[in-house]
Formats: sequence, structure tokens, C-alpha cells
Amino acid sequence: MLPSPLHVNHFGALLIFAFFVSIAIGFLARGTNRGRLRYALWSLAMFVIVSICIAWLMYPLSR
Amino acid sequence: MDDFNDNPIISTEAAEELQPSAAVAESSAPAAPRQPPKRADLGLFAPAIAIIAWLVPGLGHLLLRRWGRALAFFVAVGGLVMTGYLMRGNVFPPHSQDPFGTLGFIADACSGVFYLLARVVEASGPNVSRAVGDYGTRFIAAAGIVNVLAICDAYEIAARRRR
Repeated sequence: MLPSPLHVNHFGALLIFAFFVSIAIGFLARGTNRGRLRYALWSLAMFVIVSICIAWLMYPLSR
Repeated sequence: MDDFNDNPIISTEAAEELQPSAAVAESSAPAAPRQPPKRADLGLFAPAIAIIAWLVPGLGHLLLRRWGRALAFFVAVGGLVMTGYLMRGNVFPPHSQDPFGTLGFIADACSGVFYLLARVVEASGPNVSRAVGDYGTRFIAAAGIVNVLAICDAYEIAARRRR
């Protein structure tokens, strides 16, 4: 099989996913441009922080 | 029922205040107050907007003159789908033997026209033997779910339940 044309690590995939989903969530949840930007940034930060916390919680299970 | 009372935003007292009295109407003949359209008058407009929003992500909002939301949903859904294709994620076919495959197809098909681009962009087929390919499968399904949210939002705006 051909190799995957897009090579990203786990964290990179998380950032890409969080970026696009945060855009949609920001526009859905708030009505003003400033509110959308703030909410999208907040959502992006929460995606990353919660994912890292869950990864550390699951770390003992992988050993 | 009175048109004003159809609108849940305007209370009965406020509706009575807005209606001109008969004496005033006879003396100065003011212009009739602008009446909000009834929900029944909208007909198939909202369902049509929902179908258009499903076919092309963001187009429903574009027709409703919500430029920002149209661009945001097109970028979000398109970005997720195209990244998923470039990761060589699995695109579920319509006819699947197991229920999870059917659910996967429903999620993938919710991204509308982007589902049809899978054969063009991902011509070499999926590769889920690597973690990246498995992530790509989730990206493609998540794009469909994001578009479902966009469809619901466009429907609500078209039905005048949301600004």
C-alpha cells in the first residue's frame, strides 16, 4: 500500500481536529465576532488541555 | 388568532399597545404596523434550506445572508473532510453488513458533496493500518456531525426561531 500522504503525529492530529471543530463551535455558540473568537480560542484550549489530561490518566494502563 | 399573539416574543399587552385604536385609525390613518410573518407562511422554505445546507456545507447560511457562518461551516467541514482524506481515512460505503458501518456511512454522508469527493481525493483507497489513517476515519465522520449542527442552525434561522 502507498504511504499516507499526510504525516502528522498524535498531537498534530489533535490540533488540526480541535482547530476546525472550534471554528464551528464558536460560530454556533456566539453572535458577535469578538465572542466567537473568544469562544473558539477557549474551545481550542479546552480540547488540548482535556486531551492531555486524559492521556496522562490513561498512561498507567499502557504499561 | 391575532398575528401579534402568534409571536412568543411579543406579550399580549405589548401587542394591544402596538395595535392602533379605531379612533386614531379613522382620524389620522396611520400606516399599518409591520406584522411578523407567520410560521405557516414559510412553507417549505426551512426544509429546503436544510437540504441545501446538507448538500453543500455553508450554502444554506449563504442563502440566508449569514456570510460569516457560511464561510466558517464550509471551512470547518471541508477542512476536516479533506484532512481526513489526506490521512487516508476510511470512507464507509452505502451498503455495509454491520451496524457500525451503517452508522459510519450516515456520518460520512452528512458532509454532503464532500462525500462524493472521496473517490477523487482518496483515489488510492484508505489505509487504516497506521494510526494516521484511523484518525482520518474519525475526521471524516466528525465533519459530517459538524455539518449536522450547521444544518440544524440553518433550519432554525430559516424557520425564524433563531437570529
